[in-house]
Amino acid sequence: MRTRTWAPYALIAPTLLLMAVFLVYPIASVGWFSLRQHTVTQPWKNAFIGLENFRRMLFEDPLFWQSLMFSAKWVVVEVGLQLVLGLVLALIVNETFIGRAVARALVFSPWAVSGVLTTGIWILLYNPSTGVFQQLAQWGIGDPGTSVLGDPATVFPATVVTELWRGVPFFAILLLADLQTIPNDLYEAAAVDGAGRWRRFVSVTLPHLRDAIVLSTLLRAVWEFNNVDLIYTLTGGGPANQTTTLPLYVARKAVDSHDFGYGSALTMAGFAILLFFSVLYLRLSKFGSRA
Amino acid sequence: MTQTITRPATVVPPPAPPRRKKHRDPSRFVRLHLPLALYLLFTLIPFYWMLVFALRPAGETALVPWPITFEHFDTVWNGIGFGLFFRNSLIIGIGTLVVVTVFALMGGYALARFKFRGQRVFLLALLCTQFIPGAMMLIPLFVIFKNAGLLNSLTGLVIADTAFQLPLALILMSGFVRNVPVELEEAAMVDGCTRLRAFFAVTLPQLRPALVAVGSFAFIGAWNNFLFALMFASRQDKFTLPVGLSYALGEFNTDFGALAAGGVVAAVPVVLVFAVVQRFLVQGLSAGAVKG
Amino acid sequence: MRRLLVALALVLSACSATSDGPTTITFWDNNGGPGRTPIYQELIKRFEAANPDIKIEYVGVPSSSVQQKYDTAIAGGSTPDVGGVTTSYLAHLVGQDALEPADDRLDNGPLKGKLLPGLLETVRQTAPDGKLYAVPASGNMDIIWYRSDRFEENKISEPSTWDDLAKAAAQLTKPAENQYGFTIRGGAGSIFQLLSEAYSYSGVEKFYDGGRSTVNDPRNAELVRKVAELYKKATPEADVNNNYTQMVAQFTGGTVAMMHHNLGSTADVMKALGPERVGAMPLPKGPSGKRTVVPNPTDGFAVFKGGKNRDAAWKFVEFLTSAESNGYWNEKVGQIPANTDVRGAEWIQKNPAVKMALGVLEDPATVLVPAPVYLPEYSSITKTDTEPLYQKVLLGQMPAQQFLDELAAKLTTAQQDWEKRK
Repeated sequence: MRTRTWAPYALIAPTLLLMAVFLVYPIASVGWFSLRQHTVTQPWKNAFIGLENFRRMLFEDPLFWQSLMFSAKWVVVEVGLQLVLGLVLALIVNETFIGRAVARALVFSPWAVSGVLTTGIWILLYNPSTGVFQQLAQWGIGDPGTSVLGDPATVFPATVVTELWRGVPFFAILLLADLQTIPNDLYEAAAVDGAGRWRRFVSVTLPHLRDAIVLSTLLRAVWEFNNVDLIYTLTGGGPANQTTTLPLYVARKAVDSHDFGYGSALTMAGFAILLFFSVLYLRLSKFGSRA
Repeated sequence: MTQTITRPATVVPPPAPPRRKKHRDPSRFVRLHLPLALYLLFTLIPFYWMLVFALRPAGETALVPWPITFEHFDTVWNGIGFGLFFRNSLIIGIGTLVVVTVFALMGGYALARFKFRGQRVFLLALLCTQFIPGAMMLIPLFVIFKNAGLLNSLTGLVIADTAFQLPLALILMSGFVRNVPVELEEAAMVDGCTRLRAFFAVTLPQLRPALVAVGSFAFIGAWNNFLFALMFASRQDKFTLPVGLSYALGEFNTDFGALAAGGVVAAVPVVLVFAVVQRFLVQGLSAGAVKG
Repeated sequence: MRRLLVALALVLSACSATSDGPTTITFWDNNGGPGRTPIYQELIKRFEAANPDIKIEYVGVPSSSVQQKYDTAIAGGSTPDVGGVTTSYLAHLVGQDALEPADDRLDNGPLKGKLLPGLLETVRQTAPDGKLYAVPASGNMDIIWYRSDRFEENKISEPSTWDDLAKAAAQLTKPAENQYGFTIRGGAGSIFQLLSEAYSYSGVEKFYDGGRSTVNDPRNAELVRKVAELYKKATPEADVNNNYTQMVAQFTGGTVAMMHHNLGSTADVMKALGPERVGAMPLPKGPSGKRTVVPNPTDGFAVFKGGKNRDAAWKFVEFLTSAESNGYWNEKVGQIPANTDVRGAEWIQKNPAVKMALGVLEDPATVLVPAPVYLPEYSSITKTDTEPLYQKVLLGQMPAQQFLDELAAKLTTAQQDWEKRK
């Protein structure tokens, strides 16, 4: 398609402007602080210290590596499960059945619930004395006083399930919206060729959804990597730092401990990691190559 | 957004896609009804738990409370001021929705339909904005907002939410635009339409589900934002629902009934919006346009 | 010409908002919410009625985010006129040079000699220059809430030593009925409560001895071991991640019979259980028989340097700490009023917890062991660094002594830094 060259720039201008004003400077300032000792409660110690924060992070801070490993586990498990369940859910509610509109509205609804509220609800639900496990115990299922958030063996799955509750609808909505754009005649043609349900899914549905899947997975991975509020309020990173992700560690350092310099260095590490994997992912998936 | 609503709402059920099988299919139970029922259970139990806490007098544990009480709703609506928070959240949510959707449509179209210098860098920059947690940018952002005179104003919060929602929305939108066959637009232009007219006449109607998806994501993101709402407003009458909810989670304030009632107030509107809006997701593309 | 200038000045002054009409000052409540917001709204109403030229703009900040809110406001130069603060983070605000000292105002105002000396002292300790950066309004004390009805049913008397408490806890634990004797705060805020338990037990009278932290005294370690022994045997399993909300829910929901917290939870506890089912007792003593108490953070009001109407701000602070307002606030909340004129008030006699706490604090045999909340690193050390370690102790992954040794080493270093700067 022939284009006048100014058109795309004009179209992205508002976005560029907003980004330049509200995102570039704040991000640059995080980079600057990562090179400083900066503790707001001890201003007399503040100084430029070069790469000292990074040296300390890489060589002297086992919690950095531990939180990084947990972040990786969190993202892979969380996004993987969300994608699979979200795709299944989208396919289900894309079928025709009685009460479909109501079913869709219901299964999508957790996505609309805020982080604060999600944790609020699940704290009520997991509460060992007033929660759902206490109710089950009264019916003879499980032990009374079961605390899924207190037991090191169950705290991780319990947190994963909470985030799934809110995250699966995200995938389901996006994929469903994209499912709607698949021309029906493609399915008809495949059916005429004698393709079964699974073949139609593999040869028509999946290829069409590819861009949507690549994108939503990537965005979700970035989002889950930086997801602080849910884990923070649900487990506080515990017990014994078992559920501390890198951004949660950042929050504890920069916000709770006021060590803004070191917190910024940790943030930059997270930034670099996300950048690396995003570029890699976009390369490997050849995103947008269809256009 | 008006584009999505002009479609006559009276059109009763969207024409069901042609079904070849007329007889009952027993596999539908395993394939459809069973997983759906299980998933519904998973979705609804937490909501039910919240509802029970909201309607049950404090200290009781009945699974089906009776008689129910509205005292918790009275506490949050009149005592904490959820009425005002509700209004503020609504204004911010709608404002963000409109601005984000328009800008995302423009930018998404540019990314999908043009090849231009710096395109990849732009895409990567969009992604990069998502790499830094908001809490770390708080202080520089606060200074910018203060100098721009945007503290304590709902407009300021719309701008803050827009800045953070837009990159994601734009990327999503570009994917949607890419899925609309470019041939349709070209055909219209051959017919003598300008590019702009071709866009409005041909492409935009097909983007209805995309607009709904992107718009509702933006609305929800703004509706639920806690950090900015608390930090960029220092006036009680500019606070939003998430701020109100966090009151109920603080030290010395363990009122689970109030938390749950506040949660119901915060959740019901978005859930209702979803219930209405998902109809537009359903409509999808009309087969005729694609074949056209 | 002069007339013109005067006219111009009049026009200009008419345009500026502050000269005409009432002065507005902003007040940040550091614990906004259904519990405390209405109390302040009532007090503000009274203040505005008495001072029609001053308007108070109330902002309720959720307690979980109040430090972040203050930090952001200070960094951005947008502080309130008056803010509620507690000594647990007062040092951070002083360190950022955000507050105006209250000493002169207090000496020349109606509050002179009216405030509890003990509370003034805890506030002064938070600042390296020894000045008073907040006017104390309310004192607090760690106590143990217990279910008096269950104690009666099981014919158990109020335990006065830690071993009695452990025995009672074991007796009151019936896992099959989901009932436990005690609850441990293992999550956010755990270390502060643990330290007050430890010093109550050990009878160690100083937090620092010769510049070295006494936290790792073997007697303190003994207590930590005893607490860890209770975990899961006489407490719910969930306790390792217990924060305030969850802990109180266990107590008010009937799962546990004893809970260590402080007077601040009076309203929550009384609302749920009522005075006939709840009793309050001081933290139990140890073998030494001494009564050693780690004072709880003091609540107060601070005036920010950045405010334009500091006279009006001080007027409001004086009003909030006056006998009438201070009495009203503390009666509603159930804490110890800082204003000594409130001492004789009838409600104190009727509130067993406050009465008991006052009895302990006024007993000449009681030794106060203030924690070093003045250290800029204090919350960083006791929260970010050591809360996870305490969880390890509870889970049996770390010996109590090693945990306290690490904590003591950090507190000693921080104290040395602070002494050098002083």
